[in-house]
Amino acid sequence: MRSETIPKISKELCNRMLSDLESARRPILEAVKCSLDNSNYSPKVGYLTPGDKKVRTELNVSSVQKMSRAIFLLEVLLRNIDTGAVNTKRELYYIAKGEVKHDPHLKPLDFQDQSESDAVIDFICEMLECYREDLNCYANDRGGQTYSNQLVVTETLPDGTKAVVDLSSLGTSPFQPKNRPQSLQLKAKKKIDFCLVVESEGTANTFVANGFCKRNNSILIGAQGVPSNAVRGWAKLIQDQLRVPIYFFGDLDAYTIQNIYRTLKAGSAASLIRNSDFSAPDVHFLGVLPEDIKKYDLSDYPVKETDQSEARALKKAADALKNDPFFQDKRNKNLAKMLEWLLKNKRRCEQQAFFMVDPRDPTMPEKIIVEKIKKGNFI
Amino acid sequence: MAKDKITSSSTAEYFSKNLQQVGFSSPTKAVLTTLKEAVDNSLDACEEQGILPEISVVIEKKGTGTLKNTDLIHIRVEDNGPGLSLDDVPKVFGEYLASSKFGRGRCSRGQQGIGISAATTWAQLTSAKGVTVTTKTKTMRQAVQVQVAVDIKHNKGVLKEKKEGKLKNPHGLSVEFLIDGRIQLQGEGGLITYLTGTALVNPHLTLHYTLPDQKPVTISRVSNDCPEVPSATEPHPHTMKLGEFIAHSHLFGRITLKAWLKKGFSRISDNSLAEFVKNGLNKKMLDMSVDKINEAQFKDIFSVIHKTELMSPSTKSVMTIGEESFSKSVRRLGEVDFFSVVTRKPTICDYKPVAVEVAVARLKGMTKGEGTEDGPVQVLRFANRVPLQFDKSACAMVKAIESVNWRAYGLQQPKDSLPSGPYVVAVSLVSPFIKFKNASKETIDASDELVEELRRTLIQAGQRLSRHIKKEHREQDLENKLRYIEQFCPILVDCLCRITKAPEKRKKKATEGLEKILGRDLTAAKKEFKEADLAAKEAAAKGKIQIITDDAVEAAEPEEKPSKGKKREVKSQQPEAKPAKTAAKSSVKRAASKEKSAT
Repeated sequence: MRSETIPKISKELCNRMLSDLESARRPILEAVKCSLDNSNYSPKVGYLTPGDKKVRTELNVSSVQKMSRAIFLLEVLLRNIDTGAVNTKRELYYIAKGEVKHDPHLKPLDFQDQSESDAVIDFICEMLECYREDLNCYANDRGGQTYSNQLVVTETLPDGTKAVVDLSSLGTSPFQPKNRPQSLQLKAKKKIDFCLVVESEGTANTFVANGFCKRNNSILIGAQGVPSNAVRGWAKLIQDQLRVPIYFFGDLDAYTIQNIYRTLKAGSAASLIRNSDFSAPDVHFLGVLPEDIKKYDLSDYPVKETDQSEARALKKAADALKNDPFFQDKRNKNLAKMLEWLLKNKRRCEQQAFFMVDPRDPTMPEKIIVEKIKKGNFI
Repeated sequence: MAKDKITSSSTAEYFSKNLQQVGFSSPTKAVLTTLKEAVDNSLDACEEQGILPEISVVIEKKGTGTLKNTDLIHIRVEDNGPGLSLDDVPKVFGEYLASSKFGRGRCSRGQQGIGISAATTWAQLTSAKGVTVTTKTKTMRQAVQVQVAVDIKHNKGVLKEKKEGKLKNPHGLSVEFLIDGRIQLQGEGGLITYLTGTALVNPHLTLHYTLPDQKPVTISRVSNDCPEVPSATEPHPHTMKLGEFIAHSHLFGRITLKAWLKKGFSRISDNSLAEFVKNGLNKKMLDMSVDKINEAQFKDIFSVIHKTELMSPSTKSVMTIGEESFSKSVRRLGEVDFFSVVTRKPTICDYKPVAVEVAVARLKGMTKGEGTEDGPVQVLRFANRVPLQFDKSACAMVKAIESVNWRAYGLQQPKDSLPSGPYVVAVSLVSPFIKFKNASKETIDASDELVEELRRTLIQAGQRLSRHIKKEHREQDLENKLRYIEQFCPILVDCLCRITKAPEKRKKKATEGLEKILGRDLTAAKKEFKEADLAAKEAAAKGKIQIITDDAVEAAEPEEKPSKGKKREVKSQQPEAKPAKTAAKSSVKRAASKEKSAT
C-alpha cells in the first residue's frame, strides 16, 4: 500500500465506525494476526505470508481505551502524511504526550510508556495492512553497510530530484540503505558476480580493508545481527533489480539460522504483512556449515545451556522445527537438518573461525568463501 | 595411639564455646535471643499456673560494649508469674539441660533448658556479670534479689550477692541482663517484630515494653482465657528408634512386657498385642519382665511393632489459639483492613500431632519494606507460640506459602515466590515435637506431610479472603468502566468526526449510540459486582472473613472483655481512610441513578 491510499482507507474506516455508532452497533476493528500460527510458507512465493486469522477488536468498555488511542494516533499519522512530516516511534510518543498536554480533555489517552504507543502504531499498521514507513514513521537505520566497486545507486528524493551514489567513489566508507529502500534504483557498472551478506559488520569491514571488493566483482553487506527492515529490503532490491546470486555468511548456531538467516530469506512472523518487500528468498546459506568444521579443522565449542540466551535460542530452534512452516517445507530440509544437528550436538562455530585456517594469511577466509561459491558448497 | 590425654567436658563448657548454635551468633541476635528466652520462660510459667500473664520489658543502651561494634545493653523482663523458689533459681539460670519440660511431649515454648542458661553465659562472657534475678513466690514474705553465674566447669548455677528486692506484682520474677549486643527494632530480626508477634499469638498476654528512643508501648490482652496446655500423651511406638525404645523400657523398672507396652505407649491395646503375636512375637515373651529382655529380643519386638499397623498418635496433646482469640489478636497487628483466620483440627504429620493456624490480614498505611503494595507480604512464623525470626527461606512455613497459588485469591504473586502486597500472613504451628533445623529453633524442617498440612490451611484462609478481594475487584472494575465511559466516549467520537469531517448532527447521534453500547456493558458489570458483594457479605456473616472499620477497632480496644462465642461482624464503610473506594462507591451510586433515569 502506498502513502497516497492510506488517508482514503483511513477515512472509510472511520466513517464505517461512525455509522456503526450512530446505529448503536458495536464497531469492529480487524487486523491481520501476525504470529507463527497464522503464517504460511510456499517455496514458490518464497516468504512467510499471512493466513486467514484476524485479530478482532469489538468496541466495549474494556476496549474503548485501545480504540480511542488508535483513532487518536491515526489522526496524528494522517496529519504527518498530509504535511509530509516524518517521525520515529519515539518522536510520535512525545508528540502524543504533547497533544495531551495541550488539551486536558485528552488526558485519559496519555501513554505512560513508549511501549504503549508503539503497540498502538503496530496495531494501526496491521489494521491498514501497511508498513509503518507508509505512515511516515521510520525506524532508526541499522545495519546494511554496503561496499562495492561496481554498484551505482540512484535515490529519488521526496521532492522528485535524484541523487546518484557511485559506491566505488566512497573509498572505505560504506553506503547505508534506508529503511524504505523501494525508492532506490540500482545499476551495475560492470557485471557483478555475487552479493555476500556477512552477519558480523566488523568482519565485513575487515574483508573490505583486506581488498575483497578489489579482487571480486561483488557487493559486500554487513548485516549487523538480525537484519533490520533496511537490510531485508535492500537484499530484496539487489535480488530483484540486479539478479545476482546472494550468499549469507554467518555463525553456525541455532540463533543465526533460525532467527537471522530465516528473517533475511523469508521474513518473520511479526512482519507478515510486509515480508513481500522485506525478504530475499533467493539468498543461500554459505556457511559456516557443519561439514566445514571437519573440512577446515575449525575450532567449535559447546553451547552453554546455563546461559539464558543460548538456552532460549535452542528452545526456539526446537519450536521452529515443530511449528515454523519455513523449516517444515521440504525445500528447506537441509536447513532443518542443520538445526537438528545443532540441537543434537549442542555445539557452535563462529564465522571468524575461518581466520584460524591460516593465521598468517589475512585473505584466507576470502579464499575459502570464493572457493565455496565456485564449488557450490552452500545450502 | 594419641599421645594427648582424653578429657571430658561439661555441657556448660560445650555451650559456652558454641553459643552461636543456640542463637548468639551475632550481637543483634544476642539481644533478641536473650529477650526471647526471658519472655518465653515467663509465659510458660504463667500458663503452668493458670495466671493471665502481664510482662514488662525494658531495654536500654548503657554505653559501649567490650566487643567490637557493640553497645552495652541492659535488658529487664518482669512478669506476674508464680516466681521461683531460691533453690530453683541457680538450676534454671545457671545450669544447662535443667528443665521441667525436657522430653515431656507438651506444647510448651521452652523444651530443653538451654536458652536462658545460654543467655546467662553470654552476659557472663561479655560483661563479666551473670543475670540478676528478683523473685517472689506467694509463700515468700519479701522479694529476693540474687545474681546468678554459670559455673562453666561443673555446669552449675552459682548464687551471689543475695539481698532484698522489689517487684511490681505480689508474686513474679524479674530478670536483668547486662550484655554486649546491638539493637535492631524492625525487620526480620527486630525486637518490635518479636514483641508484636508474641502478642499476636498470645491473645491473653498484656505486654508493656520500652525500647531505646521509642515511646513506651502497652499491648493489652484481648482474651481473658488462660490457655490450658494439654498434658502430654505417652509416645507412639512408631515414632521411636530402637535405642530410644530400649531406653524407654529402663524408665519402668520390673514390669512385664505386656504391661510396659500398654502403659508406656499410646495406641497399644490388647488387640494390638494380639496383632503383635500374629505378626511373629513370641506370646511367652509378653509376660517376661522388661529388665530380663536382652538386646536381640528388644530388636525383634521393635521390628514386630513396626510391622504392625497401629492407630495414629493422639492429637489431644496439642493446643490451638482458636479462631476467636486469634481474630481479636490480629487487630493488634496495626491498622488492619480485613482479615481471615483459619484454625485447622489437629492432625498427624510424620507420626507427630500438629495443629496449624493461619491468619491473613491486609494492612493499611504500610509504606516501607515487606507488606507494602510492591513488596512481598510480611510473613510471621510461630512455633509453639514463639516467633521465628531468622532463616525464613528454608522454613516449611515459607515453602508452604510459596506453593499456594495466591493469584487465584486475588493477590499478586511472582512465580514460585511469596505473594506480594500489603498483607501479613501469620502461620502458627503447635506440636509437642516440632522438628527444628537447628538448636536455636529458627527454622522448621520442611517434610512433605507438614508442608501439605500448612498449605491446606493457607488455601482455606486464601479462599475466605478471596471473597472480599473479588468484591473489591468487581467494584474497581465497575468504577473503571464508569470512568472509561465518561472519559473516552467524547474523545473517540471527536476524533472520528474530525477525520471524517462529519457534521455536528452525526456527532451527537454517534455519542448517543456509543453511550447506549457502553451502558449495556455497565449493566453486566453491575450484575457481577452485586453477585460478588453478596458472596462477600455471606462470608462475613458466617465469620469467614472480618472487615474492620474504625468503629470496630475502637470497640475491640484491649480492655474490653469480649463475650465468648460471639464473633464481630462489621460492614465496610470507611470514608476518610479510603478515598479511592469512596469515589468508586459514589460512581457506583451515580451509575445506579443513571440506570434508573434510563429506565
